[in-house]
Amino acid sequence: MVSGYAGATLAEHVWHSLRLVVVGFFCAALAGIPLGLLMGYNRPAEALINPIFSLIRPIPPLAWIPLAILWLGLGDAAKVLVIWLAAFVPSVINAHTAVRGIDGALFAAARMLGAPRLRMVTEVIIPGALPMIFTGLRLSLQAAWTTLVAAELVGALMEVGFVLNVAQQDIYPSMILVGMVTVGVLGWLTTKGLVSVERMALARWPQGRS
Amino acid sequence: MGSIRFENAGKTYGSGPGAFQALQNVTLDVTEKEFVAIVGPSGCGKTTCLRMVAGFEPVSSGRVMVNGQDVVAPGPDRAVVFQQFALFPWKTVAENIEFGLRNKGLPKGERKSLVEGALQLMGLESHASAFPHQLSGGMQQRVAIARAYVLDPAVLLMDEPFGALDAQTRVVMQEELVRLARVQPRTVLFITHGVEEAVYLADRVAIMTKRPGRIKEVVDVRAIREAEKWDDLERIEDVMDTESFIHLRTHIWKSLREEKGASK
Repeated sequence: MVSGYAGATLAEHVWHSLRLVVVGFFCAALAGIPLGLLMGYNRPAEALINPIFSLIRPIPPLAWIPLAILWLGLGDAAKVLVIWLAAFVPSVINAHTAVRGIDGALFAAARMLGAPRLRMVTEVIIPGALPMIFTGLRLSLQAAWTTLVAAELVGALMEVGFVLNVAQQDIYPSMILVGMVTVGVLGWLTTKGLVSVERMALARWPQGRS
Repeated sequence: MGSIRFENAGKTYGSGPGAFQALQNVTLDVTEKEFVAIVGPSGCGKTTCLRMVAGFEPVSSGRVMVNGQDVVAPGPDRAVVFQQFALFPWKTVAENIEFGLRNKGLPKGERKSLVEGALQLMGLESHASAFPHQLSGGMQQRVAIARAYVLDPAVLLMDEPFGALDAQTRVVMQEELVRLARVQPRTVLFITHGVEEAVYLADRVAIMTKRPGRIKEVVDVRAIREAEKWDDLERIEDVMDTESFIHLRTHIWKSLREEKGASK
């Protein structure tokens, strides 16, 4: 692999893919979790956002590819947008459901204990929702990887998906397998990373409860 | 300071033909440092009474007042002990107890000594840094009581606090509460469906009718407790064995049974 394949070494392909996934995933989490929390806690916000969200949700992220390319061109921006869309949905849904699942008595207790609004968010809503937020993040990460390869199959010059594309044209099955295994390993490694973050973040939470 | 007053308080859910009347003309006075238990058939709205004092639900008619002020919202002057404890699972025992004090804006040093006092009061010293799920139900409810007591509330509202505990733990907690009431007397409104529990704990027992609930009778237990010297008896079973206790219990049972019969 010293001379590389499809215009770059494996490390370069991997680095490029990883960057797309990480950027898309983080943007999705940063936008999706607060939106989901807001929908879970604030009825008017839910009434406003949920119908729009429910309409967009069933559209497969890949269906956005043509529009993404038209809007943002063939570069990384279009791919990040598609990955973002795919990862955004599970983050929102899980954060939303998580807040809904918090024991109502905890809200009552916090109000009775005089918790101001901000502390209600930081010390009741977010901690209460955290285990399920992480479930959502895992799904988001998975969705990001799944979508990455599809996004890269369309007009990429580097990245793992591009390797698959070129190898297909070259009728080079072993290289296709290398590409597939690479995606598998990357997905597994990033999920492992996320799980260890989750373990640290949820150290205070009772096991097996959400 | 700590008095509770229900003045023709009513609660109706919804409106029009589908309206559901839960409470009707509830009138009851709980005076300073008095322990009043409300018993009633299930679904009579006794928990709603407590939730109105706590400020979780507004009254539909009449008034509910604490210290002469109409209740408008929940607040730490009316501490609630919930049946399902409602402790924050991600906070330690000490952090749970401290939460209300932080909201009050007390300085750190003062909070620390108050939390220590509350831990000691409830025999929780060795569990300060444990998480609720590591404790038994009885211990969790001790934490919830400590969390309420530490706020130094005007009134203490207890909503079937021992209903989720096993029979033996319940007895221990009942004795504990009587001990607490002697060490640190408070105005307490206690909701229960346990007649024995009510007679054992309360100064007065208010009996509610079936839905729409109102207070049909208030039994003065304190006069009998003092006349019969229940407090000289150490154990709950000895108190429950006295003729006067049995008489009161039977009287309240009969009164409740009339309500159950009336609903058929």
